Amino acid sequence: MLRKIIIYTLFFYLLALLQTSSLAGFNLSGLINLTSVAVVLINIFEGTKDYSGVYAGFIGGFFLDIFSANLIGQNALIFLALALFIKIVLRKYVWAPAI
Amino acid sequence: MKPLVKKNKIFVVIVVGILLVLSLNFFQKEAKGFFYTFSSPIQTTFWALGDRVSGFFETIGNLSNLKTANDKSQKIIQELLAEKASFAELKKENETLREALQVGLQKDFQLAFVEIIGKDIGQESILINQGAGDGLSKGMPVITHQKVLLGRIAEVFENSSRVILISSKESSFDATVLDRDASGVVKGKDSRLLDFSLVAQDKEIKEGDLVVSASLGGVYPKGLLVGSIQEVKQSDTDPFYQITVSPFFDLKKTNSVLIILDF
Repeated sequence: MLRKIIIYTLFFYLLALLQTSSLAGFNLSGLINLTSVAVVLINIFEGTKDYSGVYAGFIGGFFLDIFSANLIGQNALIFLALALFIKIVLRKYVWAPAI
Repeated sequence: MKPLVKKNKIFVVIVVGILLVLSLNFFQKEAKGFFYTFSSPIQTTFWALGDRVSGFFETIGNLSNLKTANDKSQKIIQELLAEKASFAELKKENETLREALQVGLQKDFQLAFVEIIGKDIGQESILINQGAGDGLSKGMPVITHQKVLLGRIAEVFENSSRVILISSKESSFDATVLDRDASGVVKGKDSRLLDFSLVAQDKEIKEGDLVVSASLGGVYPKGLLVGSIQEVKQSDTDPFYQITVSPFFDLKKTNSVLIILDF
């Protein structure tokens, strides 16, 4: 779990840097937020018994807040709630052999 | 019991994490400044790389329009060269008159050269690579090398600063229409357009007219290029025009900007 959290921290840090630097030139604002896409995909494909995706949501949102003009914690809480929501829905209402 | 203990542990970790992150807001400037300081070299590299890649794809996308754009540019260059010649005469006359009346020439601005290292997603602000340690302070105007208005410094960290663009919804400043003696207030609308409001209908305004900053509100110095008027709407029930302005600045073609230090 700790190793996953460290990997997520590095991954979302670089993703936030990429999104605000390299990808800024492609004018993706308003079209796509790579961090939210990554958080959703991690939580969907991770499995319902593993909660490291919830930490991924929190860390992804935290780095988005750092590299934007938002208050620290704004996106972190939103993505945390999103990750928890995905976990609850998958656990209670979705049955798939791979998840 | 074990799953219950595990769930409680996760819950406690999450709550502690949330409280820690929220408490960082008391030190928001220091926390963000810390990350910007050691991310600055990586951001500069990523920005340069992204600029090259996006420029490559933009060129491919615009290939069909290249000849038309080139012909149009050549025509504008010739018109500007002709105007430049007439301005040289006017400038000479102006200097002679000033000398005769003993009126001092307006000094040029003291400018600082900075580089853009990041852009905020959807917030219409950019990050530059100089901050309080380099003598910058909040409110300083930011322009491009062509003296086109970009925005002003909204937040200053030790080694970097956040610039809020004129296209941001939080931006609002006085402006005038060049050669029309009409003034109003420019507000950010979205990344491509600006709203120019409170312009009285007693002045004639046309599409294509140039908008420049005014110094009435004290936000920006006067005479900086803002944009050109894209659409003018009149209404019988409203004493003011509804004007949309297309800003001149283009971040895709700008890697470095100038800060006006002595405004």
